[in-house]
Amino acid sequence: MTQGLRLPAKLHRRVCFVLTEDLVLAEELLARKKLAGEIVGRLSDRVLLIRPGRVEIVIEELRKMGHSPQVVGRAGS
Amino acid sequence: MAQNSSDQYDWTDRVRIALSRYSDDLFRSVAGHLVKPKIGQDRDDLLDRVSETQTNAPVIDRRIRELSPGAQSILRLIGLSRLSDWKIGHLMTLGAASGFPEGFAPIESLIRAGLLYPADSNQDLIEDLASWMGLCGTVTAPVFVHPFVLNRARSLNNKTVEVKNRVSGIETDGLEWVLRIAAAWQRSRSGAIKTTQTRSLFKRDLARFQNDPLFQSPLTDLSGSVTDSGVLAFEWSVALGHFRSTGNEFTALPEIPDWSNGLWSTLTHLFSRFFSIETWDPRKGYVTYESGISPTPTSALMLFDSFARTLDEPLSPAQLAAELWELHPSWSSVLTRDDARQQGVAWVESFLDSIAFSLRIVEIVPGTERRYRLTAFGRSLLCGEPEPALPQAFPQTLTVQPNAEVIAFRQGLTPQLIAELSRFADWKHLGTACTMELTAEATYLGLESGLNLASIKQTLDRHSMRPVPANVADLMRRWADKRERITVYPSATLVEFLHAADLDQALSCGLVSVKLTDFIGLTADGQDPNFKSLRLVGNREFDARPVQCVTVDPDGVTLMVDSSQADLLLDAEIQRLAETLPPTIAHPRQYRITPQSVRTAIERGWTHDELEQWFMIRTGQALSPTARLFLNTHPLPAPATATCRIVRFPSAEFTDGIMQWTETRSLILERLGPMIVMIEEHNLAEFNEQLASLGIPLQML
Repeated sequence: MTQGLRLPAKLHRRVCFVLTEDLVLAEELLARKKLAGEIVGRLSDRVLLIRPGRVEIVIEELRKMGHSPQVVGRAGS
Repeated sequence: MAQNSSDQYDWTDRVRIALSRYSDDLFRSVAGHLVKPKIGQDRDDLLDRVSETQTNAPVIDRRIRELSPGAQSILRLIGLSRLSDWKIGHLMTLGAASGFPEGFAPIESLIRAGLLYPADSNQDLIEDLASWMGLCGTVTAPVFVHPFVLNRARSLNNKTVEVKNRVSGIETDGLEWVLRIAAAWQRSRSGAIKTTQTRSLFKRDLARFQNDPLFQSPLTDLSGSVTDSGVLAFEWSVALGHFRSTGNEFTALPEIPDWSNGLWSTLTHLFSRFFSIETWDPRKGYVTYESGISPTPTSALMLFDSFARTLDEPLSPAQLAAELWELHPSWSSVLTRDDARQQGVAWVESFLDSIAFSLRIVEIVPGTERRYRLTAFGRSLLCGEPEPALPQAFPQTLTVQPNAEVIAFRQGLTPQLIAELSRFADWKHLGTACTMELTAEATYLGLESGLNLASIKQTLDRHSMRPVPANVADLMRRWADKRERITVYPSATLVEFLHAADLDQALSCGLVSVKLTDFIGLTADGQDPNFKSLRLVGNREFDARPVQCVTVDPDGVTLMVDSSQADLLLDAEIQRLAETLPPTIAHPRQYRITPQSVRTAIERGWTHDELEQWFMIRTGQALSPTARLFLNTHPLPAPATATCRIVRFPSAEFTDGIMQWTETRSLILERLGPMIVMIEEHNLAEFNEQLASLGIPLQML
């Protein structure tokens, strides 16, 4: 980056989302009824936005599905 | 339920906070006893002075010596326990059990001397101690002593004895409870442990610990098993601060803290926290008391005090039980009928075996009669002797087998290694050789606790007698890879750039490291980026209410997004309703509603009402007529077509006359404007005739 040049940007804070390895995996998650109910939007093919306050339920459901989700930056950990 | 460890306190600050609740009279009375202040000294200055005096050895020693024998005895006993937090009821019991049945008086004198403080979380002003006790419970009111005061109280009574020609006794390695506590913490990682309003364990969780075969197995150096050892291990783990408490739930911390300072430090910590466990009895196991006060901590402390007073002399359970039976005010009443018949000898023996012996504080003296005496560690703990040398280290103590089981030979284990292994391998069996198992779940939890595959492998390699088998290493790598497939960010900060090129630039210079969309990036840990390289044009909270940030073009279908106002959900929402248009310099983010895009939105579950609502929230206006046109899915009559003529009159007044005159009105299909009407082709000739009759025939163009 050019010295002194500051990129204009907007911050979105406290965003809870799931990032999958590929599109197929994201589709698999959306096909799970209980999970789909907790997804409020899709930022891209691989990024699913979680309803605020429902992260633990999503993680629990992912584990029930047999996945081992990596949780990044969990509060208090 | 034992309370969390309070090691994290700034104790001087804690004293200051407690003192700030005192009424002025009470505070000046306490300060007068402790520091002899100047007349008229400012309260804030005095608060600082009293709290700082807690670590002034000569003053504290002097004040302790000035106490009544009963108060001194209570302070010495809690000093012996090394536990700062107690309940008033326990202290009254300790007073009585040590020969001073004076009720609250010695405790009040400790509070008035500035050596004991209220520990309840209320903020109310304390006018007098009797009302405070009434508010917090006569026996359950919590109090604390500054750890420095505890140390002084203990050291003033230290006694040492020269040990000569001593026949060695049978002592343990001290690791039994370290292992069991680690296992209890480990088994609580998969979900929070819940308690009822009265802080007792939920039946399901209680049964989990009671029925776990690992905890049902006997203690390694003894033939008998400990009643509800799993529940005790869990309660102990909570008391040691291995859990985060939120309301009625206990969630395991990612790792076991504070076990890296060696065996003696860990055992000392275990010893002191044992006295805060109120729900376990050596004979009955898990038990709750309506009064909220268990006799086990005070009885245990009195037994340890007996050893401290008699130094190297072997003591039998019968001797120890006789003293407790005579002096402890509540212990005999909670004994079972059979135990009471023998004056609690079995209770004492059970306690000594399961706790004192297993913690390596006492050893069993060889001989026909069962007798116990302090070990070298016990003498350092209770009598102030120097700590013995640590046991010899055997770092290579593990064997990783091809079936992913790990054999851990006990002589090489240390509290630190136990804590490390517990993060990524499941304890299956405890004994001279312990068994652990490497599983997908345990590896996953280890990685979630902050370890990485390399550090797990390094721990195994460093402590294994043989290299980790290739198939096990491969298995662990596959388990770790599986975790990489889905990443959940519970509370991340996303950085949205105005142009895709800006995001690429930010990625290349490491400002963000993950590209989520063409415009949005993320740091590796999901936290805030380096603000020095950014010019913030907006700041949005994900859970904030949606705001108006879309402008509708006059065509009614082109939507232009105000990037500075838009939130993340907008993109997700708008893409369900409209098609993305190529960006322009004036409008980098624009979308168009098309009949197809509206149809797709309806198919995906959006209702008409939701669309109307979305438009109102996001654009500040009702759905445009064009968009409404696209929405119209109800069957309508087909639009008709016909050849007509347009007739333009010279004035509106003339047109009004033509519209009103019956001869011409029936020939007009529709009035299109003030001076224009529409006439069907086949009526044109007759209409012309009527106009001609008025003297103004049509002029055909």
